[in-house]
Amino acid sequence: MAGYEFAREAAHMRSELNVLLMLMCFGDVIGVPVMPPTYALRLLPYIARDLDAWKRSVLRERHPLDKEEFDLIEM
Amino acid sequence: MNTFFAVVIGLVASYLGYNQYARRIDREVIQSDPKRMTPARLYTDGVDFVPTSRNVLFGYHFKSIAAAGPIVGAITAANLWGWLPAIIWLVLGVVFIGWVSDYTAIVVSIRNEGNSLSAIAHRLIAPRTRIILFIFIFFYLLLIGGAFGGILADVMNSQSQAPLGIIVLMLMGLLLGQMLYRWRVPLIAASLITVGVTFAAILLGPASAGFFKDGLDGAINAITGGQPVVQYFDPTVADPKTGLIVGADRQILPSFIFWALFILAFCYFGSVLPIWRWAQPVVYIGFWITATAMLLGLAGAALALFLKPDVAMLKLAAFKGWDTGVGGALQPIWPMLFVTIACGAISGWHALFGSVGTARQLEYETDALPVGGGSMFMEFLLGLLALLAVSVGGGGGAGAFANGLASFMNVFGIPLEYGRALAFAAFVVIVLVVTQLVFRIMRVTLAEWLGDAWPALRNIHVSTIVSLALAFFLVMTGTWIYLWQLFGGANQLMASLSLLVVTVWLVSIGRKAAWVGIPMLFMYVTTVAANLVTAYNLYVTVFVANVGQPGRIIPVIGSGLMIVVALLLVGAALVIGYDGWQAFRRYRAQPVVRAAAPAS
Repeated sequence: MAGYEFAREAAHMRSELNVLLMLMCFGDVIGVPVMPPTYALRLLPYIARDLDAWKRSVLRERHPLDKEEFDLIEM
Repeated sequence: MNTFFAVVIGLVASYLGYNQYARRIDREVIQSDPKRMTPARLYTDGVDFVPTSRNVLFGYHFKSIAAAGPIVGAITAANLWGWLPAIIWLVLGVVFIGWVSDYTAIVVSIRNEGNSLSAIAHRLIAPRTRIILFIFIFFYLLLIGGAFGGILADVMNSQSQAPLGIIVLMLMGLLLGQMLYRWRVPLIAASLITVGVTFAAILLGPASAGFFKDGLDGAINAITGGQPVVQYFDPTVADPKTGLIVGADRQILPSFIFWALFILAFCYFGSVLPIWRWAQPVVYIGFWITATAMLLGLAGAALALFLKPDVAMLKLAAFKGWDTGVGGALQPIWPMLFVTIACGAISGWHALFGSVGTARQLEYETDALPVGGGSMFMEFLLGLLALLAVSVGGGGGAGAFANGLASFMNVFGIPLEYGRALAFAAFVVIVLVVTQLVFRIMRVTLAEWLGDAWPALRNIHVSTIVSLALAFFLVMTGTWIYLWQLFGGANQLMASLSLLVVTVWLVSIGRKAAWVGIPMLFMYVTTVAANLVTAYNLYVTVFVANVGQPGRIIPVIGSGLMIVVALLLVGAALVIGYDGWQAFRRYRAQPVVRAAAPAS
């Protein structure tokens, strides 16, 4: 339990990089065309499984404070 | 009365409240069902929505809610009204209101796709509720920053054994972040080094007291020849020997300002540096320090009657009066006790955090009660420990708490001097780790709120400095109890607004809502009244008493700011209350969704 917040922070850091990569490769899925689909199609088999979850995750409505570290503010 | 019976009362109340009341509500009204999908399972993304074991989640949630609030509130209330009213409110508050607030905030979120309370309020009550809550949060955080910043500056200035441990904590926090995220040192090894060094520095604190008191503070105070920078009558100052609120001239020395700026600088780094670099490692190291002190203290409180009976007897007066205000101030037990003790009985912050953090990680719906409700009952025990510590310690304020906790640790043979150093360090750390992050969220709130009108506020340094400057004014008022009560009022008001959202939700789906609605009404009326009383106290005893006096502009500005904040909070609560009432009537006439039959 003691290291759980570090695991969560690491997951967030990884996720930020992942979102950048996905946005460059498959941005057109959410209406942001960045890379020609030809190249994206070659990568599609590797990420097809995660595409729906990623799309849902980035399109989810967020409160401006959602990303802030409420869990660290111990009160 | 002794500590053993108080602990027994606390344990019995928790057992009955959880098993006889909370579980029944969970089973019969909420009808939680392990087969119903939770947002964590439905929207798993490995980041925000992660199905997590309830044991891990319990620790995560408890660690996130249990800290300075229950400790400081219990200490302050015991000094104002005695330990008996405090213990009664702690018990009744947690059993009938506290767990309800924490648990329902999580439930309403998981039944609404993991949305935050403000998003649910936007949909269920009115669009403007979301914006008002947003502004509300900013002022609420400002009050936390001011209240905690003030108490930290005071402890660092007056308790010279504390600074060494805190300075080493800062350095070890930086080192731990570097070790974990850059050098990839295993967590256990990194923890042993950084937590071990911090503990050593804390225990060396008494040896360094001379340097900080006579050397550093003495040199700083020599700038004005030992004269105060600001001096004014503070009606909330307690007699250090008896703990009674008597009021006294408060002198703000240059060393106090130095430590206030030191704390704000600490918070500045917590706000602008990446979370992994500073804030998170500091919180982690702080957790081990405070957990050690609290566990030793709780065990000592329970066993003191058998091992050291003289330690177990409560020395503080059981009851000090119905209205303990002095110098024209009002401190009636209702409504002020109910906002002075905030987090140990009920807290709005828990609901806010539970809806965006914990709710998105619950694997099964049936975990909501043990995680949300169970954590609240555990936090109540922490508040009880603080109350017992200050009651056996004698005197007033953080010093009494440290004396009491040191006495409990002394039951196991830990020398009083070291116990006191550890208790003070735990107290400072537990408050500091909260304060540094408050400004982080304040700057985000400020940028979102006013960033379009003043683009400069979108710069993290500008928004942080503006937030710190506002908190500094509050710190300089010196009327710490009012600041704390205003914070408690905002905190409890947020809890009542969370209960309002849940009440409307329950009505909208055709479920029984009185078990949430009655606590909501009680907390709503109480906290609005408390904020008005605090505004009155500030006006009469600080603003009017100091306005026009030479050299007293700072308390006038600070108290004026606090009065404005108090009235803004009340205004925001009235608007949300009106919208909530309209929504309640609308859904009571025609619920949108009938309660679904429990899954088989």
